[in-house]
Amino acid sequence: MQEVVVNVKNLVKSYAQVKAVNGLSFQVLSGETFGMLGPNGAGKTTTVEIIEGLRTADSGEVSVLGMDVAKVPARIKQRIGVQLQAPSLLPLVNVTELLDLFASFYDRSLPVNDVLKMLSLEESRKVLVKNLSGGQQQRLSVALALINDPDIAFLDEPTTGLDPQARRNLWTVIEGMRAQGKPVFLTTNNLEEAERLCDRVAVVDHGNIIASGSPRELIQTYFKENAIEFDSETPPPEMVMQSFPGATQVMVKQNEVTIYSGDMPATMSALLKYEEKTGNASRMKNLRVREATLEDVFLKLTGRKIRE
Amino acid sequence: MRAFLKLLVSDLKQFTRDRTALFFAFAFPVCFMLLFGLIFNNAKTSFTVGLSDEDNSQVSQAVSATLDQMAIFKVTTGTYDAGLADIKSGKTKIFIDIPSGVAAAIASGQPVAVKVYYDPTDTTDTPVVLSVLQQAIGAVNQQITQQPVLLTLEQESISTHQLNYIDFLVPGILAMSVMFLGLFGSLTMVARREKMVLKRFGATPVKSSLVVISQVVYRLFVALAQTSIIIAIARLVFKVNMVGNWLLLAGFILLGTAALISIGYFIVSRARTVEAAQPIIQLVQFPMMFLSGIFFPMDMMPAAMKPVINAMPLTYLGDALRQIMVGATPIHSLWLDAGVLGVWLVVCMILAIKLFKWE
Repeated sequence: MQEVVVNVKNLVKSYAQVKAVNGLSFQVLSGETFGMLGPNGAGKTTTVEIIEGLRTADSGEVSVLGMDVAKVPARIKQRIGVQLQAPSLLPLVNVTELLDLFASFYDRSLPVNDVLKMLSLEESRKVLVKNLSGGQQQRLSVALALINDPDIAFLDEPTTGLDPQARRNLWTVIEGMRAQGKPVFLTTNNLEEAERLCDRVAVVDHGNIIASGSPRELIQTYFKENAIEFDSETPPPEMVMQSFPGATQVMVKQNEVTIYSGDMPATMSALLKYEEKTGNASRMKNLRVREATLEDVFLKLTGRKIRE
Repeated sequence: MRAFLKLLVSDLKQFTRDRTALFFAFAFPVCFMLLFGLIFNNAKTSFTVGLSDEDNSQVSQAVSATLDQMAIFKVTTGTYDAGLADIKSGKTKIFIDIPSGVAAAIASGQPVAVKVYYDPTDTTDTPVVLSVLQQAIGAVNQQITQQPVLLTLEQESISTHQLNYIDFLVPGILAMSVMFLGLFGSLTMVARREKMVLKRFGATPVKSSLVVISQVVYRLFVALAQTSIIIAIARLVFKVNMVGNWLLLAGFILLGTAALISIGYFIVSRARTVEAAQPIIQLVQFPMMFLSGIFFPMDMMPAAMKPVINAMPLTYLGDALRQIMVGATPIHSLWLDAGVLGVWLVVCMILAIKLFKWE
């Protein structure tokens, strides 16, 4: 039986006229990596900062590790790890000193060396924060979130701005926490990241959760189709492709064609027959079939791509 | 407590790594003091006096010899025209002409004048030189007339020591350094707010008051270090004597620093960025630097400015430091100085606490 480590009920927060968070409810369970997925401005950061006790909600209930955020924020702060979205840290302090300083704020902390090792920061232990690369600063910022050996870690877009290599390294760290049975609350606008790391995902848009479940569940619920993709300078007219058996949705962007299909073999054979008949078969390139991803789910749910 | 000590050590370390802060805390005040001290502290030991002896008699030689004997004068003899040219070009400030016929006139019992040409624009040196010259001529006069000297003046200075510009300047330099530390040092908090460091601290259990107190305490340490270094150099280079109580001096330095820190936090409490906060600080700092009498005596200021000057905390800090360090004549009592600084400290602290934005 999994315990509830974060419980959010009917959370509302507005800035001036804008409802940043519009009645969110969700739970994070012990041992799981929970992802909040959405485009910039969807309300992810506001939500996570309310849970961390950095902002106060207009209404709704939030509890962390069984404690009410509105009542005992200080006790909660002892036990959670926080990584803020792109804060710059004290520039004139070196890596070890900064971890040591933060460790002194908590009743319980991990040895600085262990955390340095976990985030491969050993070689830059004596480097001043201002001289660290962006990737190193990001890792240091995650290291600070782990220094108090937290019962749950909140990571707000931890891999934004990292190069692919650094991103993969950080994924390994997050997977390591999962292996230790530590819950992680992750916000991201990177679908690949959510798909790879998260046990469960809540998709947010305009302050609302528009879908939630495991990545697999989401894809199965909202996206039973496969995607047939190919490039062609002379694709069949969209109307024609829509009429292929099994085809549910067609998208043509310049030369790139995507046909979503509930009956892939039927759609595929209709497509090939049509192309042979019109003599365009030889112009089709990169014909491929793939399973739907969270990207497709998001596109289907919101009608737009997540980066837009 | 552990968190506070770590914060304090960290703040001190950050200060030692911050070249701008180090410059304004140590290098700038010391350079300022050396520069102003060397420009204004060259207390003259001798004056060059031009002399043209057109008479070339026993009498004129007596005058020339008397002047030459006086340590204060360095006599250069030449023609009348050359002497006059020197004074016009500013080479000498005083030129004495003994016209021909002086000896003859005296022999016949006629009074005769020795002419002194001087530059009236030099208001500091000329009166001194003229009065000494009067005495010299008087002495020669006496030799000639052979009258016995019955009444003499015995000079005895009762002031324990002479106050010169450097004595006035050093306490002012200390007050200025304390002001820099208090006002510019407050930018650190603005930078931390701007870069979301305060927000990051806010996500930990550390109390925000500890973060602020550490920033204040580290600057109190720096203020004492700064004071020691400036005084050490002042004594070494300019032989400035410290007459007052060291503890009282330290007390006023700490009180002044605390007052200016709280003013600093108050004026930047709403500034969003360091760039926005800097001009606000300069707006407060510049008038205080030049009007509060830390570099120029108060009587040099126009009367219309007096109310402004009397409101400035630095006026009182400068006054107190000057009294304690070099025994300058008090403008206000030390109690009043401490009281005004205390009021600034408390009022600005309350305002800063009320107004300061953490995000």
